[in-house]
Amino acid sequence: MKIYAYGVIDSNCRIEDSSKGIEGGRIYNIPYRDIGIAVSDLDGRYQKNINPDHVLEHERVAEKLMESFAVLPMRFFTIFKDKEEILSMMSEYYDSFNENLNRLRGKLEFGLKVIWSGDVIKKRIAENNAGKGQSKLLSNGSPARNYIMEKFEKYKMNRQFEKEGHRDISAIDEFFSGFAVEKKLDTLKSDKLLLTASYLVEKAKQDDFKQAFERLKKSGPDGLKYLFSGPWPPYNFINLTKPEFKKA
Amino acid sequence: MNKKVKTDSPDVFIEEIEKIQEAIPKRIDANPQNVEKGLAKLVLTLVELIRKLLEKQAMRRVDGGSLTDEEIEKVGETLMKLENKMKELKEVFGLKDEELNINLGPLGDLM
Amino acid sequence: MNNVMLKSKDVTLLEILDRVLEKGVVISGDVVISVADVDLVYLGLKVLLSSVETMERLRGAPFAGAGEEPT
Repeated sequence: MKIYAYGVIDSNCRIEDSSKGIEGGRIYNIPYRDIGIAVSDLDGRYQKNINPDHVLEHERVAEKLMESFAVLPMRFFTIFKDKEEILSMMSEYYDSFNENLNRLRGKLEFGLKVIWSGDVIKKRIAENNAGKGQSKLLSNGSPARNYIMEKFEKYKMNRQFEKEGHRDISAIDEFFSGFAVEKKLDTLKSDKLLLTASYLVEKAKQDDFKQAFERLKKSGPDGLKYLFSGPWPPYNFINLTKPEFKKA
Repeated sequence: MNKKVKTDSPDVFIEEIEKIQEAIPKRIDANPQNVEKGLAKLVLTLVELIRKLLEKQAMRRVDGGSLTDEEIEKVGETLMKLENKMKELKEVFGLKDEELNINLGPLGDLM
Repeated sequence: MNNVMLKSKDVTLLEILDRVLEKGVVISGDVVISVADVDLVYLGLKVLLSSVETMERLRGAPFAGAGEEPT
């Protein structure tokens, strides 16, 4: 028998609804002081192979908890040996959990991904640079010199590419800045994936936020494709301090 | 749960997201049978980091025009040899570019 | 299910995976088996995990009911 954990919650009371979790286990709360952790038991029927259904179940439980509590959702597949280990862990992380619960209470996470024609833009920049007569540096060189100059052409191209990318990213971020209390921006992860953003939004402001996305679709920079998701439990906004680091 | 994600272009996003997911550095396998490969990965990751830093330095100096022809020649040869050696070693240990990265937890990826 | 519905289901799963595999409360160490301890091989939309045997090897203790054949 092992225990599967879904999320830390700001309550030490029983969980009233009869939700089932992974492998049909009943969700219940293990309290610790004034907080708790929502879990379910894994019995012998637990399958050997993890599959997407488990992932969906995990997320469904986290979202259900979000309806009644402030939740710090666990990473998928966090399994404890027994209740004692859970309580020991709660004791270690109590301060950090408390700080996060208080900070994230009443807030939702929204996601935005933006695709641009990065491959086309790179080509255009490279062609522009070549047109400026830089290529004559390559014709009279040794292999070592040519190697450096090729690298340098690429370096200049990437620098220009990033400059244009960040210009669009700033323009996009402008649409949301007024409505988010926190944000995380992951930029230019691939040529086409211009931006992966997570925004932390107060529940009361979520409609305003969704409207900002509609405005972005209408008036954002040209040639962009958008993916908008949420609301989610605040996966991207959890700052855990590992207890040992506090000892000075 | 489908209502949670809105996009006009699911295909493009699926393609790009899968690309990124595949590039997530996996944990270093300290399994006794794979210790050699695990060590090779660690060492080569560090060498690759150094190579990238040297390359960046060189690019800045070329940009600033502060390298003589002789220096460009020397730096070029060194970096070229280093890159070729890395290619060899990656082949020998069966390692791909995406594997030469280390996840530092809350600090993100090394490279 | 037609193509468009499949795609939007895929995208939803990818968005969820993006969050639950690397983010959230990450507890690592001796007290917990976590997703980082098992070989998570992400192949497109299929999440394959090594079997429970890996977990047993890591924890040195058998998982109850681990007698079935993997699917």
